[in-house]
Amino acid sequence: MYSLLNFLKKYNNILLFLILEVLCIIMLVNNLPYQKRKLTKVGNAISGRFFKTKTNCTNYFSLKEENQLMVEHNALLMSQLYNSDNDDSVLIDSSSFEFRFIPAKVINNSIYNVNNYLLIDKGRNDGIEKDMGVICEKGVVGKVVNVTEHYASVISMLHPYTVVSARFTDNQHIANVTWGNRDYRFGTVNDIPLHLKLEKGDTLVTSGFSNIYPADIMIGTIEEMLESDSKDFNTAKIRFSTNFSTLRHVFVIENLNQAEIDSLTLNQ
Amino acid sequence: MSSRLIINFLRFIGLLLLQVLVIDNIRLGYYIHPHIYVLYILLLPFNIPNWRLLFAGFFMGLAVDLFNGTPGLNAAATVFMAFIRPLVINGMTRRKDINENDEPSLNNMGVSRFLVYSFLLLVVHNLVLFMLEAFSFKLIGVVLLETLLSVFSSLMLIFIILLLFKKTKKKSL
Repeated sequence: MYSLLNFLKKYNNILLFLILEVLCIIMLVNNLPYQKRKLTKVGNAISGRFFKTKTNCTNYFSLKEENQLMVEHNALLMSQLYNSDNDDSVLIDSSSFEFRFIPAKVINNSIYNVNNYLLIDKGRNDGIEKDMGVICEKGVVGKVVNVTEHYASVISMLHPYTVVSARFTDNQHIANVTWGNRDYRFGTVNDIPLHLKLEKGDTLVTSGFSNIYPADIMIGTIEEMLESDSKDFNTAKIRFSTNFSTLRHVFVIENLNQAEIDSLTLNQ
Repeated sequence: MSSRLIINFLRFIGLLLLQVLVIDNIRLGYYIHPHIYVLYILLLPFNIPNWRLLFAGFFMGLAVDLFNGTPGLNAAATVFMAFIRPLVINGMTRRKDINENDEPSLNNMGVSRFLVYSFLLLVVHNLVLFMLEAFSFKLIGVVLLETLLSVFSSLMLIFIILLLFKKTKKKSL
C-alpha cells in the first residue's frame, strides 16, 4: 500500500497527463462520426450567440452582393412560375406540397478543415430536425446533424461522411457524390460505369431518392475525368455549383411526407 | 498573486476570443491554421505546478474545441504541449538565470531563446493536433506540411502580439 502511494506521488504528473490525454482521445473518438454531440450542444448554445452577433455586424459588408443574389433568384423563380407548361392553378395548392423550405442564415462556416461544418441561426423552435437537407439557391449544401433550441449545425458537402445520391441530367444515370479531396471547390464521383460517356461540363443534380433533398437540385458539373484505381468504374472530379466560401443564406428542407416514408421503410 | 490570477483569466478569455472570432476566420489556404491561443500556456509562470499547467492546457484546448465543434482535438494537443513545457524550459534555461516567479517573456529569456522555446512547443502542439485530425499515418506528408506552415504563421502572430503588448505591460508593472 505504501509503495503504491509512493509510486502515485512520484509519477502523479505523468498519471494526470495520461488521464487527461485519454479523456481527450475518448471524447474525440466518440464524436468522430458526427463530431458534434452532447458536449458540443452546450458549446453550440454559447458559441451560437457569439457567432450570431459577429454575423450581424459582418453581414453589412456584403449587402450589395446579397441583394443581387436575391434578385437573381427571384427572377429564376418567376421564370419558372410563368413558363410552366400547365397553367392549372390547382398545382400550386399548398396541400400537395411535398417539401417545405425554411430560410436560415449561416453564422459560422468552415471550409479548410478535414471535417467541415456550418452553424445556422434556426433551430428546433423553427421546425428544424436532425437529418434534414440544406441547400442554397446555387445548389446542395449539406445535412443537419445537430439541433438546439435556436441553432443547428450542418455537415456540409465538405465532410468525409457526406454522400449525396445524384443523377446525370444527360443520361439519367445514378451516382454518389462525395468530397474526396481537400479543395472546397471540387467533389468526387467514384462509381461511374465504364460504358458511360461523360464530358467536361455535364451536369449532376440530386436524384431525389434519399428523401432528404427534392429531385433535380443542382450539385455541380464535371470538371475532369480521373484515372481510377479500380478497373470497373471511372472516377470524375466535379466542380460544386455551391460556392462554400461565400455561403450566407441557406434553406433547410423539411420533407412533409417523411413520417409516412419512414413508417414504410421501417416495416420492411 | 490575485492580480496574476486576473491577468491570466483575462488572457484566457482574450486569446480564446481572438482565436475563434478572428484568427479562425482568416483563411490563408488549406495548410495554414495559426493557433495563437497556445500563447496562454507559453506565458504561464515558470514556477506553476505541473498539475495546474496540465489543467490549464486541458481547459484552454477544450474551450477552443467548444467553438470549433471538435471535442478533445485541441484539448489533447494542448495537454500534450503543457506536459512537454517543463522539459523544454529545463533544457533551455539554467535555474540561476531566471526568477522562478516570472513569466517567460521576450525580456527575461531573450528574443531568440523565447522564439526557440515557442517554436519547439508549437511544433509539438501542431504535430499532435494535425495527426489526431487526420487520424492515420497515410496523410503524414500533408500533416508535416500543415505543421510546418502553421507553426511559422503562429510564431509570427505570437511575436506580433507580444510586441504589441510589451509597452503597456511595462507601464502597469
